[in-house]
Amino acid sequence: MSVRALRWLLVPLVVVPLAWLLVASLGRSVPRVGEPAPEFSLVSIDGQTVTSESLAGRPYLLNFWASWCIPACVDEHPVLIDAERRYGDRVAILGVLYRDSPEAARAFLDTYGDGGWLHLSDPGERLAGAWGVLGPPETFLVGADGRVAARRIGPLTAADLDAFLAPVAAVDR
Amino acid sequence: MIPTLGHAAVVVGLAATLFAAAAFWLGARRNDPGLVLLGRRAMYAAFGLALVASAAMVVSLLTHDFSVRYVARNNATTTPPFYSFISLWAALEGSILFWTLLATGWAALVLHRYRERAPALMPWAGVTLALGAAFFFAVMAWPGDPFVRTEPVGAEGNGPNALLQNHPFMGLHPPLLYLGYSGLAVPFAFGMAALVTRRTDEAWLGMVRRWTLVPWTFLSAGIVAGAWWSYEVLGWGGYWAWDPVENAALLPWLTATAFIHSSMVAERRGTLRVWTHALVIATFVLTLVGTFLTRSGVVESVHSFTQSAIGPWFAGAIIVALAGSLALLVWRIPELGDTRPPGRPVSREAAFLFNNVLFLGVTFVVLFGTVYPMIREAASGERVSLGAPWFTQVNAPIFVALLFLMGVGPALPWGGASWRTVRDRFALPLLAGALLAVAGWLLGVRAAAPLVALAMAGFVVTVMGEEVVRGSLVRGRARGERPPVAAWRLATRNRRRYGGYLVHAGIAVMAVAVAVSGSLASDVTVTLRSGESVQLGAYTVTHQRVVSERLASDPRVLETRAELALAGPQSGALAPALRDYPNSPSPIATPAVRTAAGEDLYVTLLATDPASGEVTLHVFVNPLVAWIWIGGAVVVLGAAFAAWPERRRVPVPAPAAEPVPATATIAAARPEQ
Amino acid sequence: MSRLLLPVAAVAALAAVALVGVALLSAPAPRTDAERTERLAAQLRCPDCQALSVAESRTRAAGAIRGEIAGLVAVGRSDEQIRSHFVDRYGEWILLAPPDPVAWWLPALVVLAAIAAFGAWLLRGRAATTRAPGATHAPATAAAGAPDAEARRVREELEALDG
Repeated sequence: MSVRALRWLLVPLVVVPLAWLLVASLGRSVPRVGEPAPEFSLVSIDGQTVTSESLAGRPYLLNFWASWCIPACVDEHPVLIDAERRYGDRVAILGVLYRDSPEAARAFLDTYGDGGWLHLSDPGERLAGAWGVLGPPETFLVGADGRVAARRIGPLTAADLDAFLAPVAAVDR
Repeated sequence: MIPTLGHAAVVVGLAATLFAAAAFWLGARRNDPGLVLLGRRAMYAAFGLALVASAAMVVSLLTHDFSVRYVARNNATTTPPFYSFISLWAALEGSILFWTLLATGWAALVLHRYRERAPALMPWAGVTLALGAAFFFAVMAWPGDPFVRTEPVGAEGNGPNALLQNHPFMGLHPPLLYLGYSGLAVPFAFGMAALVTRRTDEAWLGMVRRWTLVPWTFLSAGIVAGAWWSYEVLGWGGYWAWDPVENAALLPWLTATAFIHSSMVAERRGTLRVWTHALVIATFVLTLVGTFLTRSGVVESVHSFTQSAIGPWFAGAIIVALAGSLALLVWRIPELGDTRPPGRPVSREAAFLFNNVLFLGVTFVVLFGTVYPMIREAASGERVSLGAPWFTQVNAPIFVALLFLMGVGPALPWGGASWRTVRDRFALPLLAGALLAVAGWLLGVRAAAPLVALAMAGFVVTVMGEEVVRGSLVRGRARGERPPVAAWRLATRNRRRYGGYLVHAGIAVMAVAVAVSGSLASDVTVTLRSGESVQLGAYTVTHQRVVSERLASDPRVLETRAELALAGPQSGALAPALRDYPNSPSPIATPAVRTAAGEDLYVTLLATDPASGEVTLHVFVNPLVAWIWIGGAVVVLGAAFAAWPERRRVPVPAPAAEPVPATATIAAARPEQ
Repeated sequence: MSRLLLPVAAVAALAAVALVGVALLSAPAPRTDAERTERLAAQLRCPDCQALSVAESRTRAAGAIRGEIAGLVAVGRSDEQIRSHFVDRYGEWILLAPPDPVAWWLPALVVLAAIAAFGAWLLRGRAATTRAPGATHAPATAAAGAPDAEARRVREELEALDG
């Protein structure tokens, strides 16, 4: 009798792992455009602490990059410098180091120019993981409402930036 | 007001399917044919409503009604009518609408066809089909509403996904896949009905196998067409990347194939009922899992073109469908008969069931490879990926074993074989396979995969050929028919079996083509100035000039193409191109492919330098790729031949008994003694 | 005919197996730098595309990685060094076939266990049949006694022919 009842175990044995997998994969899915951006609290290579709360109400651009990411990050750098110059008053630009040391990042900035925005260390790539970063460079735009407004895998071009930032900057005005 | 009509049709469709489910349920419980008739009519109405909703969407697309968000996102005023039309299935909400149309269509067809033939089963099958359709209508009523409006209405839309509007093949490959996917709900519904009514006899198996074979044929065609699309459009020179989207289509195909084989054993031996039911359930659930993985944004994909909230809905549906059907199965286990092995270890039964073990092995490997990165990340936070090299290496031994079994199964008699039978039936095919591999070696093939594939294909095709020849001779002798006539009659009297042989032959052809093209392709990347040429194999490709112009069919698209001259075994002009779509961040490559029986010449344009007129080309010579499509066509033909309705001799579909006279049978069977 | 066929087939099959073995063992090691670069590129995932390797993809990121591989090959790094170079930077994720023991052994073990269980099941069925002579695999005739033996034989022959 009890042996016959045991066959009912088959149902949870199959269903529970699958349900776990489905739920876990749903929970894991990285933020997509329109969804809330992951929160963070990181220290910049100059020792300043930046948190997502401190940025609330303001659009910001998260640029994951690395000093070893050549040539893509090198190509992209002038575009970001230009963006900081044109939109910096309305949109916060933040660099996030991806598998890179603060020293190497400093050297990169000394070589290719420091646009003046902050670069955050991301130990263990926790923030990169939360965003589902595939590899540097990768850039996310977060709107004033704290939701993801755009994502760009690979180097940004001037045209991308205008397309990204013009509407956000305009709304913010 | 057309979008409003579409939305109304969706809402009424949801009501109709829920009503149908209730009517079927009550009709079955109270044994009331009137209620069942009502349920059936509600399902016909649901199909009509899905048709209205789809037509509303197509009209909105064709008239560029940008007040509909789906149209604004997937259409532009310059989109040609053909691409506007097929945009119905080019993005998430539209493809769910299209799926609903096909699912209700299958349901209506099946409910109509079997209304009198299986009066006990159909109400319960109706409940299942109606609930499935209701789920899709509900998804469209809430999270995946295709008719959501936007305000303010733009004068121009975003245009279709550039990749999807670059080749007319998009008009063929998704409908085939969706016909397969949605059709697999039918055997599941029959399975549920049989479990509820305890009617799991041979007649049921015959019905379910036919209704698995039909969607299986579409699914196979869709998978091959998808590979073809990938090859002709994506420009990377290959056709299968073990991408999650491809895996999602492969998973139910694998379990459905396993079912088709085990159902033959089950039908013949009256056993394995639990196993065949489990396969039917697994196949259906895997179609949902595949959709969940690829369409809810769970599997990371750069090309995913939607953000949507359908993920939790699909997760819920999968859990409900699996838990419900599995519980029903477990409840009925005591009534489903024994689970003893149906044949001796060396018998056709054993070979078919070993095939099942291997097919499920591949299913496990593919599913594991698709979800393992997710599990590992959830468990340890580390990100890994399993790509094509992993899939090929893990699957290769199983594929080789499956190929071998494809020949072994049909060569072994049912029940069991003596050593003499084995020897008589295997000697010639083994010889043929070995000779083919040796011939390959002598022709200069030095890679292992093509040699193994050649040996296996030679073995399999010879087994099939021997079977057909022997069968025709026996029939011809017994009935005094000439061999071709005898062969045709033999095949059409037992479509299932000879259609199956044709499928096997097609797979053998594909296996050789895949192994050869995978390991013997060559390629080169070069930058050429005007007038310069590059040599690859026996071909010379000469760059003549670069032309940039707007497409006549869609002036928003700028095409830059390299005009090349080809000399060699094939010659003429080639024009690989890069197309700039306004809504695509990077240009879409349009490869130039010259196909011949022996090898394809495949050229992708990587970059152009307008100043110097230089072009960078990726040139491939891909041997035997055409035979993948030919083999695929043979598979589909064979499956269609097998699924073609046989003339019914009795009102209830019964397992086809071969009407060969007993004298011929004994005569033919004598060598076995 | 079959008397001669079998030994010939056996020899031919052995020859074919031997050829495949030779082909497997003598899989050509890449000679030129370009071949090595190509082979390494085929093992790395393209960061900004779906399911393609760096060798197959034509995106900028893939092009950059191909260039980097060529550079590392040119300065004489070993394959292993080059792979770990990219793993350090992108994580194990960059490898299309990562050296993850679970990923390699679990599927293999599951499939082998399934085959073993299937084999045991088949043999158990065989043992049960030999212990109880007269029992048959076909339930349809399971209840039949000796008089049906002839009918069963005919039926099995019929099946042997008709599939």
